[in-house]
Amino acid sequence: MTERMNKVLSRGLLHTFIIFIAILWLVPTIGILITSFRPAQDVASSGWWTVVGNIFNQTQFTLRNYRIVLSRLGIGRAFLNSFTITIPSTIIPLAIALFAAYALAWMRFFARTYIFMIMIALLVVPLQMTFIPILRIFNRSNLAGTFPGIWLAHSGYGLPLAVYMLYNFVSGLPKEIFDSASIDGASTFHIFLRIVLPLSVPIIASLIIFQFLWVWNDLLVALIYLGGTPDVAPITVQISSLVGSYGQDWELLTAAVFISIVPSLLIFFGLQRYFVRGILAGSIKG
Amino acid sequence: MLKKVVFVLILGFLLGGICATSFAQKTVTVLGVWGGEERDAFLKTLEPFEAATGIKVEFTGTRDLPAVLTTRVAAGNPPDISVLPNPGQMQELAKIGVLVEVGKFLDVGKLGKEYAETWINLGSFKGKLYAIFLSADLKSLVWYSPETFADAGYAVPTSWDELIALSDKIANQGKSPWSIGLESGAASGWPGTDWIEDIMLRITSPEVYDKWVNHEIPWTDAVIKRAWQLFGDIVRNEKYVYGGVATALTANFGEAPNLLFTTPPRAYMHKQATFIKSFILRYNPELVPGKDFSFFPFPSIDAKYGTPALGAADMFAMFNDTPEARALMRYLVTAGAQEIWVAQLGKLSANRRVNPNAYPDDLTRKAADILSTAPTFRFDASDLMPAAVGSGSFWTGILDYVGGEDLDSVLRRIEATAVEAYKG
Repeated sequence: MTERMNKVLSRGLLHTFIIFIAILWLVPTIGILITSFRPAQDVASSGWWTVVGNIFNQTQFTLRNYRIVLSRLGIGRAFLNSFTITIPSTIIPLAIALFAAYALAWMRFFARTYIFMIMIALLVVPLQMTFIPILRIFNRSNLAGTFPGIWLAHSGYGLPLAVYMLYNFVSGLPKEIFDSASIDGASTFHIFLRIVLPLSVPIIASLIIFQFLWVWNDLLVALIYLGGTPDVAPITVQISSLVGSYGQDWELLTAAVFISIVPSLLIFFGLQRYFVRGILAGSIKG
Repeated sequence: MLKKVVFVLILGFLLGGICATSFAQKTVTVLGVWGGEERDAFLKTLEPFEAATGIKVEFTGTRDLPAVLTTRVAAGNPPDISVLPNPGQMQELAKIGVLVEVGKFLDVGKLGKEYAETWINLGSFKGKLYAIFLSADLKSLVWYSPETFADAGYAVPTSWDELIALSDKIANQGKSPWSIGLESGAASGWPGTDWIEDIMLRITSPEVYDKWVNHEIPWTDAVIKRAWQLFGDIVRNEKYVYGGVATALTANFGEAPNLLFTTPPRAYMHKQATFIKSFILRYNPELVPGKDFSFFPFPSIDAKYGTPALGAADMFAMFNDTPEARALMRYLVTAGAQEIWVAQLGKLSANRRVNPNAYPDDLTRKAADILSTAPTFRFDASDLMPAAVGSGSFWTGILDYVGGEDLDSVLRRIEATAVEAYKG
C-alpha cells in the first residue's frame, strides 16, 4: 500500500517538475507570440505580461505587424528560396553520410580509421573560419551567389555530424544480420539498400530535423555565399532586413518569426515519432 | 510630383544619352546597412536612376555589414558599391588598395562646391577621393517638448550654466530633468560617447579634438578627464536622471525619449541625434514635430569654443570599377538624388545644394541649417577611432563609468587598449 503511495507520489512530483520546466521553457515563446499581436506604441511602453491579466480585451491586439510583414517580405519568393536552399542541403549531406557511415562501419579498406578520425576532427572547426577560403573557390568556379554553391557549403558543414551519428548507429547493428544476408547471396550494395537503410529510419529522421532546422534558420551562411538580393534571399535574410539600422521596428520580427517557424514545426511534428528513438541512437551501442 | 518627373527626364537624357545601349540589362550590386523604412527610402531614391538608365540595382541590406563586407573583400568578391561602417574603415580599405578612386570620374571641383571641405577630407585617403557621403545625422541636439517647457515656465538654456541651472530647478521641484538610455544591445554605451564628444568640442579646440581622435594625447589627459567629469555631473547624478544610474544603463536608447511625452512627463530633456525623430514618431504617432517636440543645440560650455556641431554620416565607396557602378555613384552625389532620400526620413543631406524644401518638416530643416552653417564641424570621434577603441573600450568605458567605477581607472583601461590599437 505505502509502496504504491510512494510510487504515485514520486510520479506526481516528477510530472509537476516536468510541467514546470516545460512552462518555463515556453515563457519566452509566449512572450514573443503576445508581442507580435501588440501595437508598436504598447510594445515600447509596457511589457507583454501586462496584457495577461485582461487577455480578453480585444482592443489591445492588432494584426498590423503580420500585415506589414506579409506585404513587405515578398513572402512567397522568400519561402520558395528557403525551400530551394534547404531541401537539397538536407538530402545531399544525409545521402553521402549514410553511404560513408556504412562503408566506415562495415567495409575493410586502407586507412579507414584515419579517414573517420579526420572527419570527426572537422566537427570542431568553426564554420566562420571557412568563409573566406570557400568564397574564393566559389568565385573561381562561378558558384558564388548560386543555389548549388550554398548546397555544397551546407552539405560540407552538415556532413561531419551526420557521418558521426550515422556511424555510431550503423556500427551498432548486429553483425549476424550482415552475415546471414551475405550467406543468402546479398551483395554489399544490396545489404545497404535492403537492410541498413530501413533499419536506420529513426536516426535519419532525427538528422533530417537537425539539418533542416539548421539550414532553415541560417542567416550568415546565406548572406555570405548567396547575397541578399530578392531573387535568391531566403526568408531569414528578408526578415532581418525588416529591421532598421538602429534596430527600430523590431516588433515586426516577432510576427515574422511566427511566419517563418511554420515549416520547421511541420517537419518536426511530422517526424516527431522517430525523433525520440533517434536521438538516443548515437549514445548507446546495442 | 512634377519635379520628380522633370528630374527623371533630365537624368534620363543625360545618362541614357551618353551611354545609350551599353547599359541594357546591366546590374550593379550595392551593400548597405538599411532595413525597414530606410531600405524602402533608399530603393525609392534608386527608382529614377533605374528608370532612366535601365541598370538594375541589386541592394542587400544587413546590420552585419562589417562582417559580410570584410569577408567578401577578403575573398575577392566585394559588392560593386558598399556603405562603409565609418571613415576609419575607409582609410584601412583604401590603404590595402581595394577601393576604386572615385575622384577619377567624379567632378571633384563641382563636389567641392556642393560639399563642405570636411566631407571631402573624410572621404579622401592621401589626397585622393575614395568615398562620398549620402546622408548625415547631426548629434549636438537636446530634445524637449516646447509645450511642457512653456507650461512649466522653463526657458531653453543657451549655455552650460543655464543648462545646469535648469536641471537643478527641475530636480528641486522633485522631478527628473533628464532621460538617458545607454542600452543598445552589443553596442551599448554609444549614446554616452556622443555626450563626451560634444562636451570635448565645447571645452577645447577642434585641433585638440583631432589629436584625441588620432591618439596624439593620452586618454588620461586633463581635458579628456574634464569632459568625462562634466558628463558624469549629469548622468551620475541620481536627482538629474529619471530612474537614476540603473535606468540610464538599462533603458534602450530608442525608447528613452518616450519619457518626455508621458502625462505628466517623467523627464524633460534628452540628448540624441536627428535620427531619433523617427523613433519618437513611431512610438508616439500623435505628436507633431516642432510643436509637441523639438530640439535646442547642445549649449556652449566655454564661450570661446562656441557651439560646434558633431555629426556622423553614411558613406559610400566603390569596389568594382564598372560603368554601371560609376553611373550610380555619379547619380548618388547629386542634390536631386539626395532630395528624394531625405524627403523620406529624418536624415540630413551632406550636399549643400539640396533644396531645403525637400526636408519633410521645419524641424529637420532647422537641423540641416545648423549642420551646414556650424562654424566648427567634427565627425563622431568614436567612428574615426580604431574599432578596438571606438566601438570597444570607449563604449564599455562609458558603461563602467556610469556604473560607478572610478574615472581614473576607466581612462587608464581605455588608454591601454588605445596604445595597442593605434600601433599598426
